[in-house]
Amino acid sequence: MELRAKPPWLERLFPWKQHSRIVNGRRMAFIDEGERAGRPVLLLSGNPTWGYLYRDFIEPLVSAGYRAIAPDWIGTGYSDHPRVDAALTLAHHIADLVSLLDQLDLRGFVIVGQDWGGPQGIGAALRRIDRLGAVVLMNTWLFTDLISKFHASPKPWTTWHAPIIGQYFMKRHKVLSHNGPRAVSRRGITEIEARAYHHVYDEPDSDHVVLTWPRTIPMRENDRGWLDMRAIQNRLPDLANTPVLLLWAPEDNVFPLEFGRRLKELLPHAEGPLTFDRARHFLQDDRGPDLAAAILEFLNRRLGAPR
Amino acid sequence: MNWIVPEPEELSCLRGDPLLWEQELDVRPGVAEALERAVGQRAGQVFWRSDHDHLYSLQLADLGAGRPSMARVFGWWDRWEPRPPEHQIDADLMAFLLWVAETADLGPVYVSQVAQRAGIPFGWPAGSVLRTPEERFAALPGFSYEPKFVEIEGLRMAYVEAGAGDPILMLHGEPAWGYLYRHMIPHLAAAGRAVVPDLIGFGRSDKPCACNAYTYRSHARWLRKLLVALGLERITLVCQGWGGLLGLRLVGQMPERFARVVAMNTGLPHGDGCAEAFRRWRSFSQRQDFLDVAKLVRNSLGRARLTDAEASAYQAPFPSREYQTGAIIFPRLVPTYKDDPGVYENRKTIERLRGLGLPVFLAWGEEDPITREGEAMLRALFRNASPTLWVPRAGHFVQEDAGEEIAVKIRDWMWSHP
Repeated sequence: MELRAKPPWLERLFPWKQHSRIVNGRRMAFIDEGERAGRPVLLLSGNPTWGYLYRDFIEPLVSAGYRAIAPDWIGTGYSDHPRVDAALTLAHHIADLVSLLDQLDLRGFVIVGQDWGGPQGIGAALRRIDRLGAVVLMNTWLFTDLISKFHASPKPWTTWHAPIIGQYFMKRHKVLSHNGPRAVSRRGITEIEARAYHHVYDEPDSDHVVLTWPRTIPMRENDRGWLDMRAIQNRLPDLANTPVLLLWAPEDNVFPLEFGRRLKELLPHAEGPLTFDRARHFLQDDRGPDLAAAILEFLNRRLGAPR
Repeated sequence: MNWIVPEPEELSCLRGDPLLWEQELDVRPGVAEALERAVGQRAGQVFWRSDHDHLYSLQLADLGAGRPSMARVFGWWDRWEPRPPEHQIDADLMAFLLWVAETADLGPVYVSQVAQRAGIPFGWPAGSVLRTPEERFAALPGFSYEPKFVEIEGLRMAYVEAGAGDPILMLHGEPAWGYLYRHMIPHLAAAGRAVVPDLIGFGRSDKPCACNAYTYRSHARWLRKLLVALGLERITLVCQGWGGLLGLRLVGQMPERFARVVAMNTGLPHGDGCAEAFRRWRSFSQRQDFLDVAKLVRNSLGRARLTDAEASAYQAPFPSREYQTGAIIFPRLVPTYKDDPGVYENRKTIERLRGLGLPVFLAWGEEDPITREGEAMLRALFRNASPTLWVPRAGHFVQEDAGEEIAVKIRDWMWSHP
């Protein structure tokens, strides 16, 4: 089975070729630009976005000599969208990325993660710690001991994904997949940009992941996702010898700056959090070129410029 | 079907991966009723272990029909690791489907015929397994044994043998192959039938290219099937490095086949960390373009000096990086955290070994920073072990540094422990 074709209107916004590999029996799509020998930078998005979120990062990274790889998590973007929740657990997402790292034989790779891209990317990196080069985290979390007010609030979050009720909002009315990026955008995205985010979920029943992700956020012990997040938090000391950069959009109400400060406590050797105003949860969309420049400066300084 | 009840400790290190789901069992009520009888319940989950040692479960639910009306099949994989090769899963599912067909009177014959007609491949995909050309093994100094081969799960596994009598199984570790035992084979062949296999991915054995082919469990399984295929009984295990991680687990899995254990510079890691030297080696190994095996072995030696021809015999199995998938992965398969793959099995192994009371001989190269703690661990485990033979100026590969000396001592020890 081939990847589905990109519609012509998307070509202008997102011109890069989609590659794919079978990971754990499902097809994972990814952008793979730049020299094969360049240091791989994995650009990892979260709910409900896909590689498109990183469109402003690819050109700067590639022209600086890096290899930019933007995978779509299983269930998102151009990857397979399994219609069964049990294929979309946190452990699955981690194992999927580990499989991609293995198959592409990536060494010295950089994890750039935001939202679920954080725990899933770091979860995978901890399984291949000897091949990790550096970490960049943006508006995300890797721990179970700080709960976001947004995630605890019934208006809208816990109602959006409540048992039975959540199906109605998230899947019948697609409140997050179709309206999330537009509603959250600080700069105000255009109609066609919004469409680039949501067209991958247009098909009915293609959006399981949008609901399983919120339901995986660990709020208390024994929640789905708790065990994995706990394991990640416990292993964070393994990152002590890895350069880490924290970039933060303090205007984000999902992961406000105190999440960045908590990451700094757990990873005291990290640089930052450097804050970026005029940006909310999807800071890569609001301030893409500025973030890319900060990441390039960090990587060139800490790991040596590729050329 | 052999249902088992996995311990929660094991399940917590696995992830349930949905493989088949079927929500309309009611369409043929007879099937649902047959399943209910065979499983003993109409709602719940039963587990079994496949021929590949993979864990699977069948989940039944009663959606109000008064009989099972929904069935799902899960594979249970190492929680954060890629799942095993697809053809193994296909073969395991087919075995399950044949059981269903038999249980529910759906005709196992039709199931196999349909699978055959659909062209479902149950073997390694073409091109996914490499075989080192035999000419790479021409003119090996000191190792003129004729290689023999057994097919294990579609992979050619190589071994050499010498002598007659009860088998002496000699297991090598990373990144060596049977060649490592050349100084010991002649002496041990006096005490029995020396059987020296090459692990899958090493030596003359086949080398799958996919990373997920290699796990602690799969290596142990291949070896277990080798012992069964060769019909080895009353085995004296001689092992070092990964050979011990695997061999000792085998002793725990099939103790009835083993008579004695000789362990050298090895251990049975069970999730309580690792030596700093090992961590450095693992990190180094994962960043290499190509493992210079000859240099690695040379650098790990204490007193022995290899000729260039001997050193290149260690490199012989690996013409290029593609052949080194298994060798490069090995260091990262060593379980170091308590939730790493392999920890649960090794804890079980330790429990079983403790009660066995087999004669045990420990020989240890003094200058190996990686396995030093293994000696104390095994000594505590095998309280009846003979006093450890500490070999001065010997490193990780004691078989190179002091092979003859140790082999003679093992031989004498075997004679005194019939």
